[in-house]
Amino acid sequence: MQDLLRRYGATLTGTFVLLVAFWLLALVILPNVTLFEASFRPYLPVVDVGGPKDTYSFDNYRKFLNNPVDTSFLGISFQLPIHTITFLNTVLFSALVTFITFVMSYPLAYYLAKIVNPRALPTLVLLLFVPLWVSEALRAFAWYIILTFNGPLNAALVGMGLLDAPVRWQNGVFTAYDAIVIGLVYTYVLFMLFPIYGSIQSLDTNQIEASEDLGAKWWQTHWRVILPHAKPGIASGCVMVFMLSAGSLLVPSVLPSTKSNWFTQTIQVWMLESQDWNTGAAYSFLYILLCTVVVTLVMWAFKVKLSDIAK
Amino acid sequence: MTTPSKALNRRRFLQTSAAGVGILAAPAIISSKALASSGEINFTGWAGYPALAEKVFPAFTAATGIKVNFTELPDQDAMFAQAKVALEAGGIDVIEPTIDRWGGWNSNGLLAPWDAAKLAMDNYLPGLADGSAGDRSRAGDQLFYVPSNWGTEALVANTAAAKLATPPSLGDLFNPENQVVLRPHSTLAAMGRWLDATGKLPRPWMDGYTDMAAMVELWDIALAEAVKAKGNVVQWWSGENEANAGFVANGATLGLCWDSTGFNLRNDGYAYVAPAEGAFAWHQGFVMMKNAVNVDQAHEFAKFVSTPEGAAGWASAFSSNPVGKGASDLMSPEVSAYYSGTFNDDALAKLWWWPEQTAEFIAKRGEYADKYKAA
Repeated sequence: MQDLLRRYGATLTGTFVLLVAFWLLALVILPNVTLFEASFRPYLPVVDVGGPKDTYSFDNYRKFLNNPVDTSFLGISFQLPIHTITFLNTVLFSALVTFITFVMSYPLAYYLAKIVNPRALPTLVLLLFVPLWVSEALRAFAWYIILTFNGPLNAALVGMGLLDAPVRWQNGVFTAYDAIVIGLVYTYVLFMLFPIYGSIQSLDTNQIEASEDLGAKWWQTHWRVILPHAKPGIASGCVMVFMLSAGSLLVPSVLPSTKSNWFTQTIQVWMLESQDWNTGAAYSFLYILLCTVVVTLVMWAFKVKLSDIAK
Repeated sequence: MTTPSKALNRRRFLQTSAAGVGILAAPAIISSKALASSGEINFTGWAGYPALAEKVFPAFTAATGIKVNFTELPDQDAMFAQAKVALEAGGIDVIEPTIDRWGGWNSNGLLAPWDAAKLAMDNYLPGLADGSAGDRSRAGDQLFYVPSNWGTEALVANTAAAKLATPPSLGDLFNPENQVVLRPHSTLAAMGRWLDATGKLPRPWMDGYTDMAAMVELWDIALAEAVKAKGNVVQWWSGENEANAGFVANGATLGLCWDSTGFNLRNDGYAYVAPAEGAFAWHQGFVMMKNAVNVDQAHEFAKFVSTPEGAAGWASAFSSNPVGKGASDLMSPEVSAYYSGTFNDDALAKLWWWPEQTAEFIAKRGEYADKYKAA
């Protein structure tokens, strides 16, 4: 603050502060407070707004538990509310995305941090960044095109004789969420890579050598020395990828199968199609809350503290 | 992730506040002209269709000498709220809601009936202001609503590969030999209408739109049948681009899509076909305020939009279809050939107008769509 004042003078500094305050207050805090307030009120015709029916309740939040449908998991059949199923699927497949990005990122991060010739590093990082120059929407559409029925993947595989007939990749080979998982991994893998790279880089190479000198096998070195040191980076990468995946609307909308539904899409339907902003707001806040609970539970299970991530 | 809704909010905010400024200014404009001859009309309509003010209003003024004071509002909720204010304060003569919404306006005491003698009801294409649409334009014997433009949702079919019944039917969408691209909630309505037409429903499908208990009963049946037939769905669409890609990239042979999708694919071997049960259709039109001052001008205005020139201008501004006879000749010949190829007088008369869907209905419809997607 003192620095700012000295450098720019009172007028400019005051302007900066006011603009930032306006940004935070008018464009972030107030809209969220409005939504939060709206989430407890019913969706009413214009005539009834402010009337006797316009009272506070948890009704919008309760809709999350309405409409049980038959479902099955691991061969066991039971009933769950339809939106709860959507939520569980979203969490499950976001976790899968997080796991896949971790498996892809860890070896690469280790290679970049400890093995590669430092002079080649800028080139490699640049190559990793190139896809980020293209917007997220275009990257998702690129995958849409690759996976379509009349798309290049089918053309290539059938052309080479590996497939007899084209496959509907977008509708899933393993699960209904294959295409979404591919799209999310591609979009968010770097958010896993760089935190892990950062934490492995800070490990003293002497420790790795010491471990090897004392007779540890390569996997023992990773398990006992490198992974524990990289834990904060892995944790922050996981939190970021998980929250970004769970919160993504674009990729699940561009790469859906005929059975997939992402929770963000449910919120979007409430907001735009049903025009019920009140329930949409309730679902949004419920979603933030539930995702925070999931992340907190996982961090507790892996014995990671918030202060570790902040390192 | 939240960008679309944020953009929408900001856009709506801007539109609403711009409209609000216009409304604040409106009394001043009106009062300054209150003593002048009433060669003007106060029209409140949809924001975001600039061709209205650029082309259609000048043509109307040139034809009749009546000036249009245009207030733009972003949605029907805002129009309704504004109409309630105008009932006390004046300042609105004509508003443009959709056919499924004006009933609620009328029950709030906002509307005055049109005098059909001052309009030219013969100008309208068959099926748009008569038949079932005509019934729904009236309350009692009085005409409260006249159309301004309309659009449809019907079968887009690959002329070589789609297996269509004779005549083509909504049931073709559930034929396992067709690869289809659909949007969930329309599909459930299509299934319901098809079952209704083949006599497989315990009560008329239309009951569901007025009675929520009937809705649950009927939509449960439609959902169960649609889930059985779901195997032939290759992709969902929610907007124009997805629908197009469903055909071009994912190889769908048949779909239930907007007219614009069929139009864009017309040169790629696809036809836009009205099913025997009648195409889904929407239309919007004009209602007159109970306390309208410029009543004769309002009638002139509604009448102008039924003429070939006015109807073509209005439809072009909204990228939709004209309501007046002869208007399609004034639109591009390609567009006109396309529409008349799908809708002869018989198909026009059979159009199935989306009934009024209450907020409760739409929320429930969304739940059915979710279940259908998840199945």
